[in-house]
Amino acid sequence: MRSFVNEFLKLEKPKGYYEELVSEISMLNKEYHAFTNINSKMIDCAEGSIPFSSKANICVKGFETTAGSKMLKGYIPPFDATAVERMLGSGSFSFLGETNMDEFGFGTFGLNTETPARNAFGREYVAGGSSSGAAVATALLKYHVALSESTGGSISTPAALNGVVGFTPTYGTISRYGLIDYANSLDKIGVMARSSGDARIAFDIVRGKDRYDTTCSVEKINGNKKTKLFVVKELMEKTEKRVKASFSSLLDKLSSDYEIREISSEILSKSIAPYYIIAMAEASTNLAKYDGYKYGLQYEGYNKRYNDFFTEARSSFGDEAKRRIILGTFIRSESVKAKYYTKALRIRALIIKEMSRILHEGFIISPTIPIPTPKISEAASLTPLENYAIDIFTIPPNIGGFPHITFPYGYMDGMPLGAQVITEQANDYAVLDFVSDWEEEFEYRYKHDVGSL
Amino acid sequence: MEDHEFERLLKVARLKLTDVEKERIKADIEEVIGYFDSLDQVESGEEPAYHPIRVPARLRKDEVVEFTDIDALKRQAKLHDGYILGPKL
Repeated sequence: MRSFVNEFLKLEKPKGYYEELVSEISMLNKEYHAFTNINSKMIDCAEGSIPFSSKANICVKGFETTAGSKMLKGYIPPFDATAVERMLGSGSFSFLGETNMDEFGFGTFGLNTETPARNAFGREYVAGGSSSGAAVATALLKYHVALSESTGGSISTPAALNGVVGFTPTYGTISRYGLIDYANSLDKIGVMARSSGDARIAFDIVRGKDRYDTTCSVEKINGNKKTKLFVVKELMEKTEKRVKASFSSLLDKLSSDYEIREISSEILSKSIAPYYIIAMAEASTNLAKYDGYKYGLQYEGYNKRYNDFFTEARSSFGDEAKRRIILGTFIRSESVKAKYYTKALRIRALIIKEMSRILHEGFIISPTIPIPTPKISEAASLTPLENYAIDIFTIPPNIGGFPHITFPYGYMDGMPLGAQVITEQANDYAVLDFVSDWEEEFEYRYKHDVGSL
Repeated sequence: MEDHEFERLLKVARLKLTDVEKERIKADIEEVIGYFDSLDQVESGEEPAYHPIRVPARLRKDEVVEFTDIDALKRQAKLHDGYILGPKL
């Protein structure tokens, strides 16, 4: 099993190693905007500590945690999220900084924030979202793991676009305590790393019950290997032809170890609408608490009338946040709730049933996104609906809480290509093992190796 | 979507938009809702899945836990003579 974490622990670190690391990543950050803040105290960490970062929606005591939003400017949590506390408590990891993201996780490309992160393979390309900075940081740093978070594909997409491993566990495996909520029934903390071995190490540290999160209830994790790989025909239909061709060559390589079979599942191709309905309904409720004086942004219009105070303060939300708040508010309206929200929950149940049946027999494999990495200018011109359609492969496992992993399998025009493998709930080790086997055959490439020894 | 319905949503959500934003965001929203309407073609007799997993009803003991870190709360707030400033009623 390849593990940079284990390699790092064995290697001798030269004097001033952490100082050099912080200085070098701070310089590169001016070009890539992977981090929203870097912990300068890392230079005094215990010798042998491995750097870890956390997405800017995971609370770190004493560090400004904004979830990529102007509404949370200046919010300094007085506590650590459980995942952060466990990483620090392991004694092996030290906190390097918080990573960039789309505002509150609302985005596929990492562009919905003030200063978007840039792709580690080409700064004119999108980094992917919403955990944009986590993926870029992982592609820049040789010895590092990133705590990130996915609601509908926010780990898989940026990981794929930056050529790193992105692991999203079963819903309810890692405590969400200290995670700034986007959509509670969909949010999952996960890990990005340069190998599945490193992702597994961090996963085992942070997972497990937590009295502060009652939904964190999945304790027993399995690693039941599957011998079949299913490709869902309906999901592949809108895949760009060069991506399709590259993905076919991956399947050819895997065909010596797995039985590959195309299957049909109409319901999986219908998952985007119910996903966004559930996500927006929950998001609009969660964002109600940002009122200009409880958290972060301190609006000073104390002379305003009571309701006007909040309305003025909330104008600091970005466009996509405003869209989702309005849509979520609409969906939850009494007159249409049954048509949209309840219906979406019933379809989610159907998707879970269908996927559980398929995944009992084998893994589902697909490209991670259906198009080649777009340039920032190209992605910025997409309509919201065109953006949502990019999530076709990442939404099914996310809406159903199924563990999945994305891994680099090739490079096209110098940009990495990612594929995603999904398995049954609580069978998380199986997808980590799948990628571990792949890593024996395939060497990942990076343009930067900050901190290499 | 009728203008008065859009205005109602803005009021409920405590959001204020400029006229230019209104035009743009309303058009986006109408397109998205049109897409959401595609759910009408999907039949599901399943019970609503509020969570992707079965969440056990674990209850904590009803115990008093003393909160002492008052400074942590004050750190976020604007203070005046020891009081936390907020919007007027």
